[in-house]
Amino acid sequence: MSSVLDVVLSSAFLAAVLRVATPYLLAAFGGLVAERAGISNIALEGQMLAAACTGALVAGYSGSVALGALGGLTVATLLGLLLAALRLELGADAIIAGIGLNLLASGATAYAVYTLLDDKGGTSGLRSGTLPTVPLPGIESVPVLGDALSGQNLVTWLAFLAAPFVAWLFYRTRFGFHLRAVGEKPDAAASVGIPVRRVQYAGLALSGALAGLAGVFLSMGHVSFFVRDMTAGRGFIALAAVFLGGLRPWGVFLAALGFGAAEALAVQLGTLDVPPQLVSTIPYAMTLLALALYAWRRKRRGTGEPVPASL
Amino acid sequence: MNESWNAAGPAVAARAVTKTYGNGVRAVRGVDLEVPPGEIRAVVGENGAGKSTLMKMFYGLEQPTSGEILVGGRPRVLRGPSSAIALGVGMVHQNLMLVPSFTVAQNVVLGVEPGRRGLVDAKAAVETTARLAEESGLAVDPGARVDEVSVGMRQRTEILKALHRRAKVLILDEPTAVLTPQETEDLFAAVRRLREGGMTVLFISHKLREVREISDTVSVMRAGSLVGTVPTADATERSLAAMMVGRDLSLDVHRVPARRGEVTLRVRRLGYEAPTGQSLHRLSFDVAAGEIVGVAGIEGNGQSELAEILAGLRRPTAGTIHVGDTDTAGLDVAGHRRAGVGYVPEDRLHNGAALDESIADNLVVDRHDRPPLARRGVLHPGAVRAHAERLIGQYAIRTPDPSVPVRALSGGNLQKVIVARELSARPRLLIASQVTRGVDIGAMRFMYERLVAARDNGAAVLLISADLTELLALSDRLLVLKDGLLAGRFDDTTGLTEKHVGLYMLGVEHHGPEHLTAGLDTGEEPAA
Amino acid sequence: MTSTLVETEDRREYRETRRRGLAVDLGTTLATVLAALVIGFLVILATGKDPVRAYEALLTGPLERSFRVGRWLEDATTLTLLGLSVAIPFRARQISLGAESQLYAGALAAATVAIFLPLPSVAAVVVPLVAAAAAGAGMGFVPGAMKARLGANEIVATLMLNAIVVRVYDYLVNGPLKQPGSTAVHSERIQPDSALTPLTDWLGIPFGRANIGLGLMLLTAVALWLLLTRTPLGYRIRMTGANPDFAEYGGIRVPRAIEWSFVIGGAVAGLAGAHLVQGVYGRLEPGLAGSLAFEGIVVALLARNNPLVVVIAGLFYSYLRAGGDIMEQQTDVGTEIVVVIQAVIVLLVTAQALPDLLKRRITRRQVARKQGARKQVGAR
Repeated sequence: MSSVLDVVLSSAFLAAVLRVATPYLLAAFGGLVAERAGISNIALEGQMLAAACTGALVAGYSGSVALGALGGLTVATLLGLLLAALRLELGADAIIAGIGLNLLASGATAYAVYTLLDDKGGTSGLRSGTLPTVPLPGIESVPVLGDALSGQNLVTWLAFLAAPFVAWLFYRTRFGFHLRAVGEKPDAAASVGIPVRRVQYAGLALSGALAGLAGVFLSMGHVSFFVRDMTAGRGFIALAAVFLGGLRPWGVFLAALGFGAAEALAVQLGTLDVPPQLVSTIPYAMTLLALALYAWRRKRRGTGEPVPASL
Repeated sequence: MNESWNAAGPAVAARAVTKTYGNGVRAVRGVDLEVPPGEIRAVVGENGAGKSTLMKMFYGLEQPTSGEILVGGRPRVLRGPSSAIALGVGMVHQNLMLVPSFTVAQNVVLGVEPGRRGLVDAKAAVETTARLAEESGLAVDPGARVDEVSVGMRQRTEILKALHRRAKVLILDEPTAVLTPQETEDLFAAVRRLREGGMTVLFISHKLREVREISDTVSVMRAGSLVGTVPTADATERSLAAMMVGRDLSLDVHRVPARRGEVTLRVRRLGYEAPTGQSLHRLSFDVAAGEIVGVAGIEGNGQSELAEILAGLRRPTAGTIHVGDTDTAGLDVAGHRRAGVGYVPEDRLHNGAALDESIADNLVVDRHDRPPLARRGVLHPGAVRAHAERLIGQYAIRTPDPSVPVRALSGGNLQKVIVARELSARPRLLIASQVTRGVDIGAMRFMYERLVAARDNGAAVLLISADLTELLALSDRLLVLKDGLLAGRFDDTTGLTEKHVGLYMLGVEHHGPEHLTAGLDTGEEPAA
Repeated sequence: MTSTLVETEDRREYRETRRRGLAVDLGTTLATVLAALVIGFLVILATGKDPVRAYEALLTGPLERSFRVGRWLEDATTLTLLGLSVAIPFRARQISLGAESQLYAGALAAATVAIFLPLPSVAAVVVPLVAAAAAGAGMGFVPGAMKARLGANEIVATLMLNAIVVRVYDYLVNGPLKQPGSTAVHSERIQPDSALTPLTDWLGIPFGRANIGLGLMLLTAVALWLLLTRTPLGYRIRMTGANPDFAEYGGIRVPRAIEWSFVIGGAVAGLAGAHLVQGVYGRLEPGLAGSLAFEGIVVALLARNNPLVVVIAGLFYSYLRAGGDIMEQQTDVGTEIVVVIQAVIVLLVTAQALPDLLKRRITRRQVARKQGARKQVGAR
């Protein structure tokens, strides 16, 4: 037991948590913005993947990391807008359209990599570089914390700034105000002259951009290459964090951080005798329990609708 | 914003306005209405009289088919609510348009938020709301979440929303339907104060007492037309009721006097606490085999709740219900159907049918798991089809084939499918809710004949309708519901007039408890 | 007399419109597939490859040799079973994404029985299948009950279960169930008696790993079609999906119908897992299912959740997958283009407004024509 504690309290572990949690945080905030705009973005996974691939390819061919990151963000944003258009203009089911976009991203990225580099696995043959890390002068001297915080990637800091940013956006700005109204009660928003669709398009674009940033981090944060299907279900986990966090910025922040910490722990415990796969199921099992508990409580409180006698 | 108002003209007016919907229903016919500035105008009429449609045209939610709408003394084309809002028209809808998780202040300012550079000044929003509330006398808690405040405060929030947008005309669509008497008093005081400030108020209501109390003039609508406008001081509840009810078309249905059999439905001290909607209080009545008992009332006085409780879709919170010897109060829907209850629901599109499924499938929902359709766990499509063909023939459902999805049928034809299903189950008790709503005359007559035939075959029929003419033509006995209570009971409908029943529906008159419960056996009744 | 005349006329007209409606449906489905293939063609062209050669390999390759046919049928068996497994909850209008967890649960159950439990010959095949179906059903029951009894979101619940079961499976294959003494990660082989007989043995033509699981799949499809059209439970599932308020009004216990739809779907996905273990690999392999579970959703959608059509869609879809592999071997075009084509099909199918727009335009033209004709009659 003491060895587990040693692991958890080490600065390496803390650093790992920050690193592992980054894509979860960004993607979860992407999911949150879309959910609050009234359209479930189940395509987070595909948006991340497309951004990761585009980022590595553009950076590799242009030699500019910044250009790569920009390319990745653009593609993910466009995918967000495409989901909104499918939903709003063509009456598509957001969930099914999201599944389609995920498939599209999976196929298109693998096809692009194979076509360009003749490599099935990824872009490791391409030198694409990484996004800069941010040294924090002075903090190195703080024990444990200093080692963990210093030298983290720029995107990690952005991910942690995303929580206050989204909270500010939701609760302080006119746009966030309208976004929440549109997502919660479109009739009411429309009746006071808010352009419902335009707000939803903007929300989905932002959602895609945040997922894109998560994707760019995967291929350009600590490694400098894209691997086929490298998102490995993170988009879906981020979606779970959105619900587990109760659709609130700080709740989602904690949930995503929790998923990141659990994954980091699973990796660290691999060196010990505990099976890492089993440790890594804990957050999902907890989400499942929380979901059941939440539903049960909501049902007991009564939703105001007449309860069907057959229940 | 409102420079273009012509101070001399009416605040709002309709000139020869007619509205015909896409399906051919003419909701408003040639209405001329003028409301001068600073007046509280009540608009009264039965359900479907066209009041709401007319108001929607003033608010830009509907456009007139012909005629013109005037706002601020000038003819206007209102493309949507936003153009009406820009002209100073505000409307408080019956189902409120508020964002539940937002605070009162946030809802008031939504769409025209104070603040600079894309930010919302939350403090200014609260201050604005508090100031508006103070000036108008509409007390609200600006910082409370809307889903946690009373319905009355939600409504005041809606009015403040309109004031925040500098409305000069305020349309209130049945504002008191959801309010307690005290809240109603407060609302009236605020409305009067708004009038002092120059506001024009259009007040839609069913409740004549309130109309008398609050309005300056009353306009009465009936069947899409404006029947008349009178100063409130000259009107009595009785005279208004006389203008409101009645239908030109007379119905005569051939029916022999009822032969009452044993009591089939026995309801005693039935109570229902509704989370939303109308609660029911201490209802006691019988329906015997071989009679049609009508339930009259202005819509929203508990008829829907009563029907759904009797059909098993809601659970009563007090009292007993027996169908024959079966105590049905605790049973689920299937249990009710086994006990012999048939139900024609009031909104056939909501739960009366599965629109994308075939006629054949829609006809078997209550009997798909038993012979002759299903044997030993197998449902026989041939039997389902034959069953459908038989009912299509018997009930003259116009369709080329039983496999047609019911969505393709007209309103009357779809209703025939539902009535065919419910009557062919040979129910001991049939609850028929708004059977003829939105159906053509031919189908209407057909329904009437079938109901009478079911009665003559020994079924107990509880007929709920918003159409008084229909109730009087069909019912052997008549009950009147008002505010979830029994307000009237007529054991003989011969010679009963719509005007007389209307007085009970509108709360002008009511029967005493002895009359309402006379002759009911009290054996089952728990001690009070 | 006139009424009967109108009746027959109506009937003829109805049959004609129904035929036309079916034709439009079939047409839009074919057009969807065609459009997706055209987009794939253009993508190949845009990436500077030879699309004609690639499509030749893609579209004719799988039929060229009998073992390629075998590969196609083997893949189609798993994929169709997965498509069937989601079609049932979809029919009750439940978005179950849990086929993955159900498949792995089924595979584990089948493998455990087939490896460790010595059984007489017929039972050796049947008992693992039953165990797999039961495990899949159990895995379907969890989100089903959570949705039906508590109203918990089935999408999140099934996704979470997937994440859990995939990890537990990974642990078991790497740990307790790993073949002792082997360097590669996989379980021991199942007992020979438990294997689903290969079609090669049956027909004497080399059909690769294709096996009698194909027949099992076809039987399952027919059984599910019968369930939906010929049983009270199927009726309840259909009505619950069509209008739950109507179902409840009619006395159907809607939560029960929802639960059953999840359980039945889960059992079928469990069979897909058993097919992979007993028919294809003969043991547990890491990442057994690949992306098949999500592609099963696509198959169900394409087939509009009709079990018999799911078979056709599954065969078609696997044909593309098999063709994609051959295309990659014979040309320099990657098999991934097939996934792109599949994705485009999904997006076109879910864009419901498209065919409706088309249909509306057609009917409008017909109505206009009819009114024109009527006016002429009136003028006369």
